[in-house]
Amino acid sequence: MSALDIRNVTKAYGPTTVLDDISLRAESNEFIAFLGPSGCGKTTLLRMVAGLETVDSGQIHIGGQRIDELAPGERGVAMVFQHYALYPHMTIRENMAFGLKNIKISKTEIDARIAEAARILEIEPFLDKKPGQLSGGQKQRVAIGRAIVKKPDIFLFDEPLSNLDAALRMRTRLELAQLRRRLKATMILVTHDQVEAMTLADRIVVMYGRKIQQVGTPMEIYGQPANRFVASFVGSPPMNFMPVTVTGTPSVVTLRDGTVLTTAIANLPESASWELGLRPENVRVNDTGVSAKVEFVERLGERALIYARLSDGTAITAEDVGLSRLTIGDEVHLSIDAQAAHLFDADGRGYHAEAA
Amino acid sequence: MSHSRNQKWREVGVLISLIVMGLIMVSPLIWTVMLSLKSNGELLRSTTNAFHPPYTGENYAAIMANSGVFRWLLNSAFVSILQTLGVLILSSLAGYGFARLEFPYRNQLFLIVLFGLAIPEQAVIITRHQMFADLHLHNTYPGLILPGLAAPFGVFLMTQYFKAIPKELDEAAMLDNASRFKIFWKVLLPLTLPAQATLGIFTFLASWNDYWWPLISATRADMFTLTVGIASSQINFAQTSGLGYLMTQAVFASLPILIVYAIFQKYIVRAVAGAAVR
Amino acid sequence: MLSAKAKTQFGNFLFVAPYLFVFAWLLVWPLMSGMGLSLFKADLFGGATFVGFENYARLMSDPVFLQAVGNTFLFVLLCVPPLAIIPLLLALLLNRSTRTAAFFRGVFFSSSVLSVTIVTLIWRMVLIPDGGFVANILAVFGLPPIPFFSDPGIVMGSMAIITVWWCLGLPMMLYLSALQQVPQDIYEAAALDNSRWWTTLTRITLPSISRTVVLVVIMQCVLQFQLFGQPQLITQGGPNGASRPIVLFIFEVGFRRWDIGYAAAASQILFAIILLVTLGQYLLSRKRTGDA
Repeated sequence: MSALDIRNVTKAYGPTTVLDDISLRAESNEFIAFLGPSGCGKTTLLRMVAGLETVDSGQIHIGGQRIDELAPGERGVAMVFQHYALYPHMTIRENMAFGLKNIKISKTEIDARIAEAARILEIEPFLDKKPGQLSGGQKQRVAIGRAIVKKPDIFLFDEPLSNLDAALRMRTRLELAQLRRRLKATMILVTHDQVEAMTLADRIVVMYGRKIQQVGTPMEIYGQPANRFVASFVGSPPMNFMPVTVTGTPSVVTLRDGTVLTTAIANLPESASWELGLRPENVRVNDTGVSAKVEFVERLGERALIYARLSDGTAITAEDVGLSRLTIGDEVHLSIDAQAAHLFDADGRGYHAEAA
Repeated sequence: MSHSRNQKWREVGVLISLIVMGLIMVSPLIWTVMLSLKSNGELLRSTTNAFHPPYTGENYAAIMANSGVFRWLLNSAFVSILQTLGVLILSSLAGYGFARLEFPYRNQLFLIVLFGLAIPEQAVIITRHQMFADLHLHNTYPGLILPGLAAPFGVFLMTQYFKAIPKELDEAAMLDNASRFKIFWKVLLPLTLPAQATLGIFTFLASWNDYWWPLISATRADMFTLTVGIASSQINFAQTSGLGYLMTQAVFASLPILIVYAIFQKYIVRAVAGAAVR
Repeated sequence: MLSAKAKTQFGNFLFVAPYLFVFAWLLVWPLMSGMGLSLFKADLFGGATFVGFENYARLMSDPVFLQAVGNTFLFVLLCVPPLAIIPLLLALLLNRSTRTAAFFRGVFFSSSVLSVTIVTLIWRMVLIPDGGFVANILAVFGLPPIPFFSDPGIVMGSMAIITVWWCLGLPMMLYLSALQQVPQDIYEAAALDNSRWWTTLTRITLPSISRTVVLVVIMQCVLQFQLFGQPQLITQGGPNGASRPIVLFIFEVGFRRWDIGYAAAASQILFAIILLVTLGQYLLSRKRTGDA
């Protein structure tokens, strides 16, 4: 029995379909991230689980019970909202108690749960303050606390870190990971930030264009992207794509500038309509290799990103050491680790080397 | 240097013009207070000595002895307070409904209510008077209170205000197992307090000062509100021998609202500003 | 499933139902039936006879009504411009956060909280030629008193003076809050551009609050077309009907002569005038700001 079971769910606003026949299972205590660009329907899907959006067709089950026709409060879920949605006129304690009072939990039990959550989240000093007196990070903790005290079957997070500044976001991300280990509950996180998804989730659901593109562990998503969209969306800087012709087995490919590479991908039909996918970390500036012309250099400190063009005009991003001396206009040689390359067919489907 | 000197002269000019205009503004009030402190006999002869003694409190003593005025004052207070409460309750409920809840023809109904903003009282007065006559509501408190409850301004204001509250709060409360009414009562209503203050102050002032409807509906002296009562005693102004007494009535009748104004001035100013921003 | 949804929506409707009931009962229905009534010859006691548009035809040739319409327009023309300009000047002078400014704001708004009956009582004793405040001042300079209420050529001017004094508080507050909405950095930019006081006022401040000026003018027009208490209490419409506005006409016809069909017709005309003037100004202001 799955903790969450989404079956053939469809959602449309008027003539616009936002989710098309979505099915997904999450196991107990699993941390799932819905990852995708804005407008891909990930938030809508989360809100459907929460009961804040209706389901046009299909079913949603939690713990084996069908819940898509229940009121939001009866589904055993708790949600942490993007803008926290703390009740501004109630103290932090009242914020956390509100939902528990509504289901007639005893006063002593409420106090115990609030004390426990406050201890875990280290928000004890603020319990009698109003949300307006707290910083963004503190509000964030309270919002999580309000979810914890409900002891839900599933936690839902709607872009919970997007309102924090960069430093705080990183810290909160770590805390969220620790919290997750303590709470032992099923969690679903909606995010457009791949780093959040990669670092927090057991499995990532990549969504785009009303559909689920791929479901997999972070390393599967990164290492064996199911299609060209997943490959381009995950990874920063994004993967290089270049048109190639497959000419042999195991797949020997020819770039448009004539360079021949031998990949580790077995047995693909020979054709000119393939695309080669290469992550920048697999393209390094070297003494020998494919020649290219530097168009821009981005120095990140520990490494430098080299934006260059091959002789036929194909754009390519490569990595160099942090102390790279390259400047715009330099002629360089790039060594390509073809063993790590991916291939995509005309429909965008991905092919990879057997998992190493 | 010349810049700052210019500025100083400008400040002085501003202050002087404010004082002059302020004096023009308050001189009728001071004049009234002065006359109210004069004996009726003296005023019958001449008013030229209004700013010179002797002064007397006899007109105020006479007002205190006149129970009619107190009855009117109580009527006004009762009607204004109940009307204000009624408007706050109806407007809040309707504002929440129009801003947040789904029901058939919601937008069309709201548009009709908005159109109601353009209906002047005079356009409905004849038939409303007949309706109330048929229902025997004239010269009753409900008859005085009810018409004010129909004004659409409050619904408009509250709907706008509810719409401005983030919807996430409702959603959080829904996940917290709160019912529709509980969301309204416990979560959203407390957040509308500034709007409630604005609407409450406006409604109270309008109700307290309303002349048109009570004049038509309350024809028995014991059901007069203060405005109508004061009006009834100035009908024979030309023949009156009690000028000082009349002026005392003016002072006495304006005191409650001026005191309320003095106490709540900060809030009233804020209320007016709040209504202006919308 | 469907019935559950219908039940929810019915519950939702209950929130707006109380107001909608009062609204329909006390505003919409009287408006509609008033329109109907205006087509009848009716009085309070007898029955009603359908007369079509005869009431309207009668009004169009009723010199008393036509005079009242003229009086009302005259009054609006006399008091709306000062009510748009004087409060604006006050607001410009008072747009600062000093205690003095707060005090004067209180002074200029104080008259607005008084009821019309008190205002007329006060002003009668200010303007009356026989021992009034103004007459006393004129006497000091050896001047004769002005017949504020008994000269047909002056009486509407007197009403306008009283009304301006009574009503200037609200527009002033509206202007003040509009001025506070003008972003401060515009002024800083203007100061950096060496803009002089007058230039800043005419090129920056006034254009930024032009919407409020339109709002004030429309609001005051709607309000002042409904003039009633001031002449009803002071002059009863005299002398010779020179201060009788439309509302007083409606009041006299409807509640003194009980010719209610006729009064209903007059009130529909007032409604139409207010609606047309409001709409016209609104469209005009839209067009002007659209051109700019």
